[in-house]
Amino acid sequence: MTDLAKGGATRYTGARVSRVEDARLLTGRGVFVDDISLPGMLHACFVRSPFPRAAIRGIDTSAALALPGVHAVFTAADINRDVKEQWHSSLGPEGPETPRPPLAEDEVRFAGDPVALVVAESRYIAEDAADLVDVDYEPLPAVVDYMSAEQDTAPLVHAGHGSNLIGAMGGLPASALEDVFASAAHVVGETIEQQAYAAVPMEGRGLVVDYSATTGELTIYAGTQSPHEVRMFCSRLLGMPEHLIRVVMRDTGGGFGQKIMVQRDEMCLMLVARKVAAPVKWIEDRRENLLAAGQSRHEQAAVKMAFDADGLIQAVQIDFVSDCGAYPTPWPVGTASVVGAMFPGPYRVPRASFTTKAIYTNTVGRTPYRGPWQFESVAREVLLDIAARRMEIDPAELRRRNLLRHDELPYTNANGMVFDNISPLETLEQALDMLDYEGFRRDQALARQAGRYLGVGMSTYVEPSTPGFGYYATEAATIRIEPSGKVNVYIAGGSTGNSIETTVVQLTADALGVDIEDVHTVQGDTALTGFGAGAAGSRSGSMTAGAIRETATILRERIAAIVAHKFEAAVEDIEMAGSRASVRGTPSISMTLQEVARVAYFEPHSLPPGLQAGLEASARYTTKPGSIWVNASHLCTCEVDVTTGRVELLRYIVSEDCGPMINPNVVEGQIAGGAVQGIGGALYEHLAWDEDGNPLTTTFMDYLLPTAADIPLIEYGHVETPSPGPGGYKGVGEGGAIGAPPAVINAVADALAPLGVTVTRLPVSPFGIMSLLGEKPR
Amino acid sequence: MKPTQFDYHAPSTINEAALILAERGENAKVLAGGQSLIPMLALRLAVFEDLVDIGRIGELKGIERRNGSLWVGAGTTETAVGASAEVASAVPLLARATPLIGHFQIRNRGTLGGSIAHADPAAEYPAVALALDATMEAVSSRGPRSIAARDFFDGVWSTSLMPDELLAGVSFPVWAGRCGFAVEEFTRRHGDFAIAGAALGVELDGDDRILRCAIGLIGLGSTPERAVRAEAALVGQLVNDMDPEEVGRLAVANLESVPYDLHGSSEYRKQVGGVMVARAWVAASTEARRA
Amino acid sequence: MRDAAVELTVNGVVRKGTIESRMTLADFLREVCRLTGTHLGCEHGVCGACTVLVDGEAVRSCLVFAVQVEGAEVTTIEGIASPDGSLSTVQEAFRDCHGLQCGFCTPGFIVSVTAFLRDHPDPTDVEIREALSGNLCRCTGYQGIVKAVRQAAAVGLADD
Repeated sequence: MTDLAKGGATRYTGARVSRVEDARLLTGRGVFVDDISLPGMLHACFVRSPFPRAAIRGIDTSAALALPGVHAVFTAADINRDVKEQWHSSLGPEGPETPRPPLAEDEVRFAGDPVALVVAESRYIAEDAADLVDVDYEPLPAVVDYMSAEQDTAPLVHAGHGSNLIGAMGGLPASALEDVFASAAHVVGETIEQQAYAAVPMEGRGLVVDYSATTGELTIYAGTQSPHEVRMFCSRLLGMPEHLIRVVMRDTGGGFGQKIMVQRDEMCLMLVARKVAAPVKWIEDRRENLLAAGQSRHEQAAVKMAFDADGLIQAVQIDFVSDCGAYPTPWPVGTASVVGAMFPGPYRVPRASFTTKAIYTNTVGRTPYRGPWQFESVAREVLLDIAARRMEIDPAELRRRNLLRHDELPYTNANGMVFDNISPLETLEQALDMLDYEGFRRDQALARQAGRYLGVGMSTYVEPSTPGFGYYATEAATIRIEPSGKVNVYIAGGSTGNSIETTVVQLTADALGVDIEDVHTVQGDTALTGFGAGAAGSRSGSMTAGAIRETATILRERIAAIVAHKFEAAVEDIEMAGSRASVRGTPSISMTLQEVARVAYFEPHSLPPGLQAGLEASARYTTKPGSIWVNASHLCTCEVDVTTGRVELLRYIVSEDCGPMINPNVVEGQIAGGAVQGIGGALYEHLAWDEDGNPLTTTFMDYLLPTAADIPLIEYGHVETPSPGPGGYKGVGEGGAIGAPPAVINAVADALAPLGVTVTRLPVSPFGIMSLLGEKPR
Repeated sequence: MKPTQFDYHAPSTINEAALILAERGENAKVLAGGQSLIPMLALRLAVFEDLVDIGRIGELKGIERRNGSLWVGAGTTETAVGASAEVASAVPLLARATPLIGHFQIRNRGTLGGSIAHADPAAEYPAVALALDATMEAVSSRGPRSIAARDFFDGVWSTSLMPDELLAGVSFPVWAGRCGFAVEEFTRRHGDFAIAGAALGVELDGDDRILRCAIGLIGLGSTPERAVRAEAALVGQLVNDMDPEEVGRLAVANLESVPYDLHGSSEYRKQVGGVMVARAWVAASTEARRA
Repeated sequence: MRDAAVELTVNGVVRKGTIESRMTLADFLREVCRLTGTHLGCEHGVCGACTVLVDGEAVRSCLVFAVQVEGAEVTTIEGIASPDGSLSTVQEAFRDCHGLQCGFCTPGFIVSVTAFLRDHPDPTDVEIREALSGNLCRCTGYQGIVKAVRQAAAVGLADD
């Protein structure tokens, strides 16, 4: 399906249209949550536990309350009992969940655990008061190492759960594949470990709660990827009718998954909203964000592959363990199982087994981050390169032999997932071609003779986008063609940089056949837009396209009816282009959209009988169950300085297949952003704790984000395989963070291969590299 | 992340500043560029009752030759130091260290005096001052005091300045003759604090013999260090006889309190330090030979 | 003094306030002047989102107390475009080159780049990347930003 609506033009779709968001953001006129200022507004600050685990013996708030400018200090005793229901919409009320006391009750479970909430006239005073809250902690032994958390001697993070194993899921057991591995020509196995790192958006979390006792209405300004989820969650939490709650999000400074779900800190603000007779603002500072907003990626797996004599994969096995901290959001067992199920990737893998486990530890809870299951690609692609070296097959050749070909689709993978409309082999070939892979290998050989270590690394992955289950599976649009003929399109939104405003304006302009200057969008306000799940799961492109197509169709039919009636033409002969409706073949017989609107709104009795007046419509699109698969290949070259361990990235190439592109700028921007986050994760970023669970990286001086000086030019190749969804679009937001880490790791490993090192632990820091070089067997 | 409250003082002369410091003692802290101090205040790692802002004291700014040395006022910004033709010709080591300090936005506020008084062992200016045997000129209500660089740094973020003393300026000896200078540091990212680095100056005689060599080590101790053994081994040798890697090895061989953290063990830092010394040696000795 | 009366010129307009001495220039701009375009990404001087010009020099406004710059001329992101609303060369370049996504880091980049190109109108690629290394971005991967600086430099040179 490639056309959006009957006779739809594609004047803007596919073009590098300038963003509508830019005008305000370039001039400092964006409205982020910390920019909201309401009369009488007060400021909140949390008191947080310095201990990874401790009993709370008592909290003395008297000194804090005595400080001038302090309005209130809340503890668990004040607010926790007001919780009516606490569950995230994607999971439902019946599912298993970690108990989440908004403020810590008798025990703190990670360093950064919120213990008290101060409300004061300014953030400055609130921080002064927070320092005066006297919490009597009795430190307790903490469980920090997730790999030993299941031992009998380990303390329990949540006593009520009875175990530090949150849950386990698996596919075929390993025993079912013993024969395959035993008889395979080659078996390669390693344990691959990834460090904890996190989404780290440039803007931390935050919200302003504004309750009016007079009207009983609660308005929440939030930094969020899903305004409607915030509203629903809050409604259930407080037992307040949903229609009395309004959530407004104008601009949010990045989310990447960390701002999809309401966490305990935000719950506390919602709970105090009705207790404070003033609006209350909480803005998370950077230290809090690195301490308490959530960790991701901390996991490892023992992985194994069996190959025949030609290097064809016979079976794969993964035993995966994931550190989920003390308060994972959401319940992480299902996401962990996706790692197992996806491990075979876009390859021809006849048999696969997997086990997955999610573990509690006394560290900050796990939260979603761009491609939360990406470890399956990290582990698989790194192991493939290790296998290639051991079998003395070029890594590109090994992939060529095993990647799914076009003629094999649809393909049901060994774990029951059905892949279709993907092009993994084609993307790999395009990337290799863009690099001139053979040429690089020659350069590499020459460099080695001169004592320089160059390397090339690649990864190919497939990922699910546009989830077709539960509340993710629908999206609505309301389009109002105003009496003047200008167009407003209302979408739930949740853009935190994903350009959904521009996307929606482009799609609408084409769907209606109007000039893009005539289209405006309103998003992010639950009072104004239809319900929507928000920006997650790389769903926004496809879902908004579907919603706009359905809604625009209604309006085009009405416009056609009006114009046909006026000119006594056939409805099928009416075309819309450039904000003008005309009779096909006679362009002089036309009406501007403004003229059509005039008729629709002001001359209702001249309309064809039975036609609804006005030009406003709403419709909701439902995507099919399952996912829309997307794939890409990443290819990276590097040089490693073996005297210091420094890695310099030389070229970085991405060949992606996101189907037709709505806006190539947006597509490339998403790929680049995700890839650089992945590069950061491979080389620089590390959310670290000492062995007692004390956080070591709570500022940007210790948690290292890559800068412009650390990142090479990213080159893009595009392969286009339409999906079955609207416009043929696929999601593209998450892939960069999936494909980049393994490509970078493989490049470093390839560079160091002549020195006999195997890279299986991340991050690949200079120190890490020198340690590997120091350890290598002679 | 907001600092605690403090009383703010903005003296316009050195004497005024000295009087305030004498009065407030340990409760007071000098505020120069603030690029190191303000983050600590924001994180509440440091709390002071009084901040004495020396940014308005004109006597503290300036760069001038005095008695064969180059005097740089403590309040001179790093940008001004880096842009100064006088510094480039008289104390090349200072000029070459400057672009490595943080980022240009930091250098626009950060001062030479602030960096030296803050005494971060991984910073560039302290190592340069130590390498060149600079003299720190302190002032208090009790009068001026000159402190040799080797007596100035006594621990991480710790100097021999008394609580009531203010660093007014630093005098850097000017090297003449066939000299070469280089600063090499290893950082995770451009502008980060050094994991290990070297600030090196070398002077040759007409026969290419090493007359003197000064090697200041960055990030390899609780203070900047002088690689005295390596320096001693170099003096009198022919420059071409020296193997750079050997120079590097010697420079780090006896270091005892090399820091360690997430980004590297002590051994790793030493190893990288040796590499940085070797590279600095190559660059500086090449320049000296051509002089 | 715990409190101080402060007077600054911000984007050409005199602004006054009586504030705590500990109030950063960033907070003074955001809360007293209500110019919220300057953003707080870290408050410890690493991310650069808070960059403004003080007497023409790019500085991190989270690392300056407002009282320290009493009497100074401050330019924020709100003062970069012309009074008639037309974007500066740097702003146009960011728009043309998809140099922003969420926009949170953007004001800091625009101000930093404006100062950088004014002082280095014909930079090499390495100089551009080093100059940008004091501003962090999480959305763009820096690709569009580097392109924008190159375009702005080229336009600036062509105009001369």
